[in-house]
Amino acid sequence: MKHESVAITITSGKGGVGKSTTVASVGLGLAQLGKKVCLVDTDIGLRKLDLMLGLENRIVYDLVDVIEGTGKLRQALVRHKEYPGLALLPAAQTRYKEEVTPAQVKQVVDELRNEFDYILIDSPAGIEGGFRNAIAAADRAILVVNPEIPSVRDSDRVIGLLEAADLKQIDLIVNRVQPGMVRDGDMLSVERVQNHLAINLLGIVPEDKRIIRSSNTGEPVILDQKSLAGKAFSNIARRINGEEVPFLELEENGLISRIKRLFHIASALN
Amino acid sequence: MAFLNMFSRDKDQPTAPTADDRLSLVLSYQRSEIDEAKLKQFRIRLIELCDDFGFDVVGQVEVRPQSRGGDRTTVLCASIPVRVKQKN
Repeated sequence: MKHESVAITITSGKGGVGKSTTVASVGLGLAQLGKKVCLVDTDIGLRKLDLMLGLENRIVYDLVDVIEGTGKLRQALVRHKEYPGLALLPAAQTRYKEEVTPAQVKQVVDELRNEFDYILIDSPAGIEGGFRNAIAAADRAILVVNPEIPSVRDSDRVIGLLEAADLKQIDLIVNRVQPGMVRDGDMLSVERVQNHLAINLLGIVPEDKRIIRSSNTGEPVILDQKSLAGKAFSNIARRINGEEVPFLELEENGLISRIKRLFHIASALN
Repeated sequence: MAFLNMFSRDKDQPTAPTADDRLSLVLSYQRSEIDEAKLKQFRIRLIELCDDFGFDVVGQVEVRPQSRGGDRTTVLCASIPVRVKQKN
């Protein structure tokens, strides 16, 4: 019987929106649910996912090696220390994205389908060649957007390209939401972003200082029990896995925040 | 008085007052690849069309693109102040 697997490209219009953070955390979230997950870093020349997962010292072969046949796929997969169900296929750091074609990436991903339930493909930012590699093998796509005009505008272009590539399911994650700024009218609301882009909302992730720490320590924020962003990523993983999970309440409703609001003191979430 | 006027001088008005309006404008231009020259031509044609249908345009014709959620299209909202032509 053929193994049922889903390949999902996580993409964005511009860089720096938290795409790799999302891939690392959602990948771990799916592994925590007992799924076999492979993260494929297609950002050739600028790999980042290995750092996010704390696996940078264990890379021997990479995606380009597999494509060129100098390394076998099994040799290139780096397993997570605590979650062996999670594997990483790293990007090459000293090569150019032009050395890889969409057909070659598709071939590798199709091979991964035999072993993994979910294949999360981390796309490079922008809409050039690397983006085409990242979407070539995908069954569906997740667009990571910040609630800012440049991010939404670029994402709108990406949606057009994904639709042109015949990707039917495109979901939205709004990352780095600051409820205080939204309330003060200084940041677009999630509702307005979704309304403009007109795609299904998969998750809302609040701005969280812990994400910076987690990127630097190689422990994705989803492992931090105290982090609201971690909880949000965990919920996203569960939704991808077919569960119906309500969206997090990001507004602070405690006495202190009500007093702050009364005196118009800007309140960051952390 | 001139000193006081320095503080009350009108600032340049933004193209759209809120972030949401601005995003709507940006997306509508991007989706329909509208440029100012095209919009100007469009305004001229609207004035001609009004003339054909027996209206005099009596003020500034405004064409404002807006993005529409749902089907990700652009809506062109035209404001044309007109008066019915007087018959001689």
